[in-house]
Amino acid sequence: MKLSLTRQALVLAALSLLPAVGEAIYFRGKISWQSPIPPSEMVSVDQARAWGGNVIWVDARPDAEFARDHVPGAVSLNEDRWNELLPQFLAAWSPGKKVVVYCSTESCDLAREAAERLRKEAQIPEVFVLEGGWEAWLKKNR
Amino acid sequence: MRAVENLSTISYRPPTERQFVWRIVDFVVAGIFIYAGALKMLDPVQFAHDTKNYQILPWTVSVALAFYLPWLEMFCGFGLIFRFFYRGAISILTVLIAVFTLATAAAKVRGLDITCGCFGHASQHWSFPAHLATNLGILAALLALWFSNRLARRM
Repeated sequence: MKLSLTRQALVLAALSLLPAVGEAIYFRGKISWQSPIPPSEMVSVDQARAWGGNVIWVDARPDAEFARDHVPGAVSLNEDRWNELLPQFLAAWSPGKKVVVYCSTESCDLAREAAERLRKEAQIPEVFVLEGGWEAWLKKNR
Repeated sequence: MRAVENLSTISYRPPTERQFVWRIVDFVVAGIFIYAGALKMLDPVQFAHDTKNYQILPWTVSVALAFYLPWLEMFCGFGLIFRFFYRGAISILTVLIAVFTLATAAAKVRGLDITCGCFGHASQHWSFPAHLATNLGILAALLALWFSNRLARRM
């Protein structure tokens, strides 16, 4: 019995659902459905400020944006010049210090990627992404 | 008598050269989608982020698609190879590649600097023209398969 085009497509779509659900269950601990960055890895401006001198601010934005303005004392560490800037960051960091990475806004992905690289490549344990990014910092500091 | 008459009308026709060429195209297109689907299936977290970067869909939908689309691509790819639900598979893959292409073009127009995500992070360093050319090539192959299949069914 030959199925119509629509029924064929529906059967394929339905077949694909089963392994997809299985995979979603398998990966449930590695991804948050609510936010691109797990809440445990995000920090607000107020929380980061409360850590005082125990924080290193990392600016993941391109050089031109960093040069224009940045969080006082922040270290620039962007994807374009990662290898060149990493030693300078590592010189400023010491075990026990928390790292807070930011890019321009909430939707910008650069901070998340930089934070992930710091955790995986530099093996730094306490790395956080600033909620709201540079925009949030500016709002709190106007 | 009728059974004999029916039997005599059944004849085996060996595949023609043209059909053989279309089967190669089936395998190439299927291989591309199975490979792309497998890469994304292995790292759905990254694919969810790649989808989110287009800034079209909410995060929750991006995550759902990151789990679902790779399996859909792979099943449709196998459909092309083993000829089950063939027309349905071609239709779905054509829609998928058309949507991917439009989304990539829209992102470029909006000035977003993103990776396509089509082949997982393996395609992250592809330029926009390379992405576009690949997608359009695959779309052309799928449309050709669709029309050749329609023609074969009419004959």
